[in-house]
Amino acid sequence: MRRLRIRELVRKEFIQLFRDKKNRPLLVIAPLVQLLVFGYVVSTDVRTVTVGLLDHAKTAESRMLIDTFGANRTFHISYATDNARALESRLLKREIDIAIKIPPDFTEHIRRGETADVQILADGSMSNMATVRIAYAGAVIDRFNERLMAELYPMRMDYGRIDARTRPWYNPNLYSQNYFVPGIVAFLIMIMTLLFTSMAVIKEKERGTMEQLIVTPLQPSELILGKTIPYIIVSLAQMIAVTLFAIFWFNIPLAGNVFLLFLAICLFLLSTLGMGLFISTISATQQQAMMTTFFVILPAFMFSGFVFPIANMPQLIQWLTYLNPLRYFLLIIRGVFLKGVGLDMLWPQFSALTMIGIVVFTASVKRFHKRLD
Amino acid sequence: MKMLTIRAVARKEFYHLIRDFRSLYLAFAIPLLLILLFGYALSLDVDNISTVIVDFDRTGVSRDFIRRLDASAYFDAHVHLRNADEASHYLDRGWARMAVIIPPDWTNSLRADREAPLQIIVDGSDPNYASLSLGYMTQFVGRENRRLLADFLNRKGRASINPPVAGQIRVWFNEDLESKNFIVPGIIAIIIIIVGAMLTSLVIAREYENGTMETIRSLPIRAGELLAGKAIPYFMIALIDVLVAVLMGQVLFSVTMKSSFWLLVTASSLYILVALNLGFLISIVTKSQLVANQMAVLITYLPSLLLSDFVFPIVNMPTVLQYVTYIVPARYFIDILNGLYLRNVGLDMLWPSYLVLIVMAVIFSLVTLVFLKREGL
Amino acid sequence: MTPSPTNAIEVANLEKKFGDFTAVDRISFSVTRGEIFGFLGANGSGKSTTIRMLCGILLPTAGEGFVAGHNIVTEPEAVKHSIGYMSQRFSLYEELTPAENIRFYLGIYTLPEDTWRERMDWILEITRLKDMRDRRTRDLPPGWRQRLALGCALLHRPDIIFLDEPTSGVDPLTRRRFWEFIRSLADEGVTVFVTTHYMDEAKNCERIVMINEGTIVATGTPGDIIARTVPEKTDADLNDAFIRLMAREDRIQ
Repeated sequence: MRRLRIRELVRKEFIQLFRDKKNRPLLVIAPLVQLLVFGYVVSTDVRTVTVGLLDHAKTAESRMLIDTFGANRTFHISYATDNARALESRLLKREIDIAIKIPPDFTEHIRRGETADVQILADGSMSNMATVRIAYAGAVIDRFNERLMAELYPMRMDYGRIDARTRPWYNPNLYSQNYFVPGIVAFLIMIMTLLFTSMAVIKEKERGTMEQLIVTPLQPSELILGKTIPYIIVSLAQMIAVTLFAIFWFNIPLAGNVFLLFLAICLFLLSTLGMGLFISTISATQQQAMMTTFFVILPAFMFSGFVFPIANMPQLIQWLTYLNPLRYFLLIIRGVFLKGVGLDMLWPQFSALTMIGIVVFTASVKRFHKRLD
Repeated sequence: MKMLTIRAVARKEFYHLIRDFRSLYLAFAIPLLLILLFGYALSLDVDNISTVIVDFDRTGVSRDFIRRLDASAYFDAHVHLRNADEASHYLDRGWARMAVIIPPDWTNSLRADREAPLQIIVDGSDPNYASLSLGYMTQFVGRENRRLLADFLNRKGRASINPPVAGQIRVWFNEDLESKNFIVPGIIAIIIIIVGAMLTSLVIAREYENGTMETIRSLPIRAGELLAGKAIPYFMIALIDVLVAVLMGQVLFSVTMKSSFWLLVTASSLYILVALNLGFLISIVTKSQLVANQMAVLITYLPSLLLSDFVFPIVNMPTVLQYVTYIVPARYFIDILNGLYLRNVGLDMLWPSYLVLIVMAVIFSLVTLVFLKREGL
Repeated sequence: MTPSPTNAIEVANLEKKFGDFTAVDRISFSVTRGEIFGFLGANGSGKSTTIRMLCGILLPTAGEGFVAGHNIVTEPEAVKHSIGYMSQRFSLYEELTPAENIRFYLGIYTLPEDTWRERMDWILEITRLKDMRDRRTRDLPPGWRQRLALGCALLHRPDIIFLDEPTSGVDPLTRRRFWEFIRSLADEGVTVFVTTHYMDEAKNCERIVMINEGTIVATGTPGDIIARTVPEKTDADLNDAFIRLMAREDRIQ
């Protein structure tokens, strides 16, 4: 293994990478875009619930109910009408999230000690958000009930009730960014190494320079190193840039040890580089390599726990995710960023990542011959 | 524009497609895969939340409470731990997403008509999961409290008193509140983008890279004829994919389209046209398959996935991005899909989105023609 | 088979099959050291396949071969230290300049770094690319790229160079200069193995082999072959000889 050869290969690869203007979007713009997108777009938080109101009662009690909703910062009463159809039409047009209809006999029921039914129509289109909105609405009604009962009934209404004190850990304000942005590092590394490594080898094949390399005393191992090292360096650079951006722009907490992150990345790279090399050995053209890469990256991402929780997936698929290095990498990244846990907690993930990485990389290297046939 | 020329171009493109096994495979396999993926495996619903319990109270009351919690479809609360440290351990490792800690003397507080605190810790890493978990927990505790209130009133001999208000919840549009009902239809938009834009973005770029563009330029073929001819095979494939997707959604996942089928076909066709033109435009401008692919992902695929109100609500985005979504074609198509699948509305409600798609289709076609003409056709 | 020390290349019953198709059908020949040896044939006759086997790019399906004393089947890597190769496509790195291309190969052949500057200057000199050393290769005209490709094949001063259709797509003046250069190389003792389908160029070679559909149809010096094949014509050339040979092949079949 001659360092000189590897050095010259890496040098050539870098020259090609940076001189080819077509690569610039991928190197710079793509990471930036992903940061913006996953930082600002991907979020299913319920921040505001837009409410349409129909008050057929118009009594002190009904206004009290309305005020209870209004006082809650999450609810925003944007539309009030006396026309049921108009209200429903707003819901149909998706201009409001929920419609509240207070019946005309609202106060009568209450004064008689009965329960008045208030209709809450919820737009269930985005079911996860709808569920949360419904839960919030329910909580407001509960609070209203307590207030009203305290007023109506002079006796002490203090009863033993459960006071649920909830605390979200790791991500106290439930920011979506905290969940997704660390995952971007994974995404970038995967694209960079998988796509570029496979393309780098195939471009040589397509242009005929591979033939030229085969004729020299260059060893396959030297070629592999020469082709992968540049992309390792670039993806590490991107990782550092993204991490800094995440910490200083998005204020994502970095509770754990950054070196652990680094170690995880190196192990993850084994898998992605191996995969990239493998793809280069089974593809004859750049287009095939691109398509194959896309075909690999898509499920890898879908079934990694990046956006969709693994716990929700069918059992069979959950088992399959154990083969996905991205699954472990994400657990480690999120663990390090948000939970601040260390190797003592994450060693299963690290071991899995190492094993998969070694297997994939070795298999690919074996396939990598210095022949055209 | 001569029909004969268009047919010739279309035929060549067909041959090319059929013989390029991988592209063909992708054109049909990806839609199938996506539907299966999103239908079976990907869901934003939450249930069986793995919850650990630390019960310092250890009375019949607390045990009944826990039992009712575990019996709920949303919670899986059968793991009992001894102290908060153990719970912490579970949460850190991800073995549980929630921990419920019942303090000592809990029942006594309840019996003494005092507030009995209940500590609930939730793993906040995944905010969607956490919000939903908290929502279900809030509802559960609310029900428990209503029961406690009823008991209290009973004991005080005021059983006739009822809580003043009960919210009668009716869910419109997605009555079972299952995420697949809005995710699966939205896949149609993604499928069209992949087949209609990403695949086609390579088509013209390939001609440039092969050098055949030069030959084409020397032929008596007009820009419009070339585009139309190249568009036809991909249009047909995309439409077939849409139909397959609709069928699979219905058969496999019981996601039914409530409104008019022809409205769906029309909207899909319009969106396919927009996608095709975008793909071609990218192809002509970049002249390189690798760059075209990246550009297609950036300009067509990602916005369709992320900026279209498909899964991620536009209302949550920063104002700037919200303005950007107005020029994302997928936004309007998703609106139509939502209308046809979930809301069961027709043209009377959806005409604005249809109009925008028509306008976009026309504008993009013209732009693509202009660019192609500039290349010397 | 033990190769003779005076031969740079020796090949016995070399065969290459791709599935059912036999590209090279048991050919045998030898090339003396310092010789300019031509491999002639039409497109698809097996020339490129043969050269690739000799360079260790393809593995023969049968037969033996020795290049620079090393067995091409069992020790292909050893062969590569002593040979240079210029492919039909002038495989060069387009985004790199000639200087960068040369530097790259200097590194691949692990020449000692302190010799690089001098070697680089030498190559740029003999390929007359000194003024273009920092221009992107993609921007050079074909004749200049041919020279660069040749330079990259030579920079490690190999004993044998293999040139696969080196003059395709190049103007007559450049072609003539090219052959002058080849002769000067041979004068220095380098063995030159050239494939071509231009019959008129082949007269530059000292000995040639004509190959058709994977088999050798003629061997010898250009003069000999012409005399043997087209004896009746006084001003016959290799084109005539080749056509006559092909006609014979047809009749035999």
